[in-house]
Amino acid sequence: MTDPHATVFDDADIGPDAAPPAQVPSSRAQRIVFWIGSVGLLSAAAIDGIAVLGRHIGFTFLGSIELVQVAVVLIASSAMIGATIVGAHAAVHIVTERLSPRGVRVAQRVADALSALTFLLFAIGSVWVASDLWNGHERTDLLLLPLRWFRLLWIGATLIIMVLFARAAIKRTAA
Amino acid sequence: MTPELVGIVGILVLLAALAGGVPIGIALALVGMSGIAVLIGPEPAVIKAGVVAFETISKYELGVLPLFLLMAHICFAAGASRDFFSAAAAFLGHRRGGLALASIGGCAGFGAISGSSLATVATVTSVALPEMRRAGYDPGLATGALAAGGTLGSLVPPSGALIVFGIIAEQSIGKLFAAAIIPGVTQAIFYMATIAILCAINPALGPATIRMPWRERWPALRRIADILLLILFVIGGLMIGWFTPTEAASVGVAGALLLWMFRGGITRVAFADALRATLRTTGMIYVVIIGAILFATFISVSEITEHLAKLVTDAHATPTIAILVMALVLLLLGSFLDGLALMLLTTPIFLPIAEQLGMSPVWFGIFLVRTMEIGFVHPPLGLNVYVIQAMARDIPLGTIFRGIVPFLIADFIHLGLIIAFPIIVLWLPKVIA
Amino acid sequence: RPADQSNSPDDAPITLTYASPYPPTHPFSRADISWMKAVEAQSHGRIRIKPFWGGALLSSDQSMVEIRHGVADIGLITPIYTRGGVHLLRAQSGFYGGVRTIGDQVAIYDCLAQRFPQFDRELAGLHVLAVQGGNFPGVLTRTRAVRSLVDFKGLRLRAQTDANDVLRQLGANPVNMPMGEVYSALAKGIIDGVVAPADTIKSLHFSEVAKHFTPIRFSRGAYPARAMSDRAWRRLPPDLQRLMAASRRVWEAALNTELLKAEDAGTEFGRQNGMAFTPFPAADQAHFDALYTADAKTQAGRLASLGIDGTSVLAEAQRIIAAAGTSDPIRCAASKGPKP
Ligand code: NA
Ligand code: NA
Repeated sequence: MTDPHATVFDDADIGPDAAPPAQVPSSRAQRIVFWIGSVGLLSAAAIDGIAVLGRHIGFTFLGSIELVQVAVVLIASSAMIGATIVGAHAAVHIVTERLSPRGVRVAQRVADALSALTFLLFAIGSVWVASDLWNGHERTDLLLLPLRWFRLLWIGATLIIMVLFARAAIKRTAA
Repeated sequence: MTPELVGIVGILVLLAALAGGVPIGIALALVGMSGIAVLIGPEPAVIKAGVVAFETISKYELGVLPLFLLMAHICFAAGASRDFFSAAAAFLGHRRGGLALASIGGCAGFGAISGSSLATVATVTSVALPEMRRAGYDPGLATGALAAGGTLGSLVPPSGALIVFGIIAEQSIGKLFAAAIIPGVTQAIFYMATIAILCAINPALGPATIRMPWRERWPALRRIADILLLILFVIGGLMIGWFTPTEAASVGVAGALLLWMFRGGITRVAFADALRATLRTTGMIYVVIIGAILFATFISVSEITEHLAKLVTDAHATPTIAILVMALVLLLLGSFLDGLALMLLTTPIFLPIAEQLGMSPVWFGIFLVRTMEIGFVHPPLGLNVYVIQAMARDIPLGTIFRGIVPFLIADFIHLGLIIAFPIIVLWLPKVIA
Repeated sequence: RPADQSNSPDDAPITLTYASPYPPTHPFSRADISWMKAVEAQSHGRIRIKPFWGGALLSSDQSMVEIRHGVADIGLITPIYTRGGVHLLRAQSGFYGGVRTIGDQVAIYDCLAQRFPQFDRELAGLHVLAVQGGNFPGVLTRTRAVRSLVDFKGLRLRAQTDANDVLRQLGANPVNMPMGEVYSALAKGIIDGVVAPADTIKSLHFSEVAKHFTPIRFSRGAYPARAMSDRAWRRLPPDLQRLMAASRRVWEAALNTELLKAEDAGTEFGRQNGMAFTPFPAADQAHFDALYTADAKTQAGRLASLGIDGTSVLAEAQRIIAAAGTSDPIRCAASKGPKP
């Protein structure tokens, strides 16, 4: 029994219809992103769930917080890519929707270009911080999970999002 | 250029970017980084962005947001919002404006699963709006009730906004949730009273439908029994201390999955849809949070905050006056800023002032969320309104905003009561602790 | 006293930003403010310090990285909570078993930092402007007082990570949980207690949810806690650099005073609100210190895997503590201020 209204969440989340910035990229890449995020979501839920259960039947799941933390990195990184692919970033359209079709395209292109620039700056900053810490053995307290790989994953995500926005800006120009 | 001037220019550029359709999180981040670059330097600006981004996406406490979202999406897939509305409609539909009353009930119910105002308004609207239109309801009343009712989602626990406030203000999220219950319930009652009064004045607004016999009411109620049980378990367990607020979300996900299994209808496709929808919203929220933190950093470096704080403290004849000034500023900013961004932006400015004036941070969090909610519906940029409009293209924006006016009046009276009688907020957390 | 240049008209004041994650009312911030006033006065207005409180400018986890890159000129740093790049600074704060006063903690830190170059390596790009000791954490418990080591058995305690092993050896059940959730977790009995200094009785309102406090000294060391970036340092003329270096003692003294004041205030607040303070037997404290030092050895040894010789640092710290008399304050052979 799939609810026919399931898609309203899309509308809810994006507010007034935001156009996807990118044409649907290779569906395999999309599936990988979806899998990483889903694994993050379900393992975060499972880890905290087991920690609660453990407390009530008498064992301590030490380090559960650290595991959830790295799961959240997976969730957030893939979620941001996913949100970019489907154009789910909340935006205000009260002014742009009154523009001519050509005006809308121009505004959208500028928005895409600025978004690409923003994620490029995120990438630069993240690379800079990560390179400072790269040889510093940054790791969690209890389980000693090495954080640099998670920083690397996040940097990859920022670059992918940047490319998605940049491609959209160029495509709209061509259209 | 003085720092304050840079700050003012930054705010104007932000508004222009938002008007030009730049995504909210992106606009906040880009203006924030540019402002830091101007006031401190380009290198600190990108370093700050790198630090803030990773800190935000690896924060344990923020991990509850996607998990509460997942719980809501699973409940939604299992039919929760439809069943909530049907149950309320079975009991109230035969009264004047009964379906509108039922929408408020549906919003309050679904709000107890969902952490967001937008998700609540969208889900309940998808079920309730077609029903109300079929029954000949005035479009203004129907959409007004839904837009206002949707805001219950961000006050009734779990509440995404309160989670974020708890993190910034370093307050117990459990305490904040407890504090939100009475204000949430009274807010729903206020909306219901508004509908009753409107329909008493003009019965044509919300014609009565056929009275359902009791033998049809009970099954409708039974259909939501399992969801009510889940809500009771998650919120109750949190209050009693079976789990911490951060763990409640995970327990909620497990409970929602059980509920879905029990109800039947889990398919791989439906489950993937719930996960996908959760990730989509999560991605949007994280970008807004990162952007808002960067923008807030810029604003505090610009020292605008100090001037604003001075404005508020200078106006202090009494704490009440200061609170009214803050409410005014919040409503003003709330008319063009997203709620979450607004909260991230104003908490660091206003909370110290509020504490200085002897107000409880918990009360202040509720006040902030309650005021912010009004921003979700008040013209010209109430996000809830745009959500409804996207789902009912033939209803003009003007009609929806006109329909909201009576609910806004109710909102202001309710907000006034919260300011005048802080006990509404503070009593329950005290009793529980 | 620096040469009197303050009257020269083209000598515009140098504004330095200072950032802290704490609100201005926090004891740390009160000490920060006394330091600022002292520096501004001593420089005859040639240095102006612009504070940013409440984490408005610096993050709490990566403040060292941020200061190095100029996000703030001076800032509060917390290497004991930083998860990368400062493994010795972090671990060495657990090497001070048996130390008696906050002043001694700071003195020992200076001796160690002077002797082992790894300290400087981890502080590259920064000038330390204050080293901070800490109040000794005790155990706050909800319903049951801790009267001896035996009472730890079965207690579910929230503690900082470095105490986990010792607590487990005593049969306790250490829990890690964000500090913000401790109050409600205590209120509801999710945990039985928390390892925290007495000032939290007042500052975090723990007296409302815990009835007992036992002042067991969980040994705490000192760590560099305020730092200035190299690039900001280079903006100062030599006389102001000297002034800044000398201000270190002012800052440390102010921190010491505020920490003790906060501890007293916490204890007093607890007494007024009906908390019971249970003394801890000296024999048990000695046994506890021994466990702690044994654990410190393990921690120090583990640093070897990161190419850091922690064992020598621990041995030196313990040698200094053992060599010091019971009454005299510890002095290092040639105590060194911040790098010139
Ligand atoms: Na809610
Ligand atoms: Na708004």
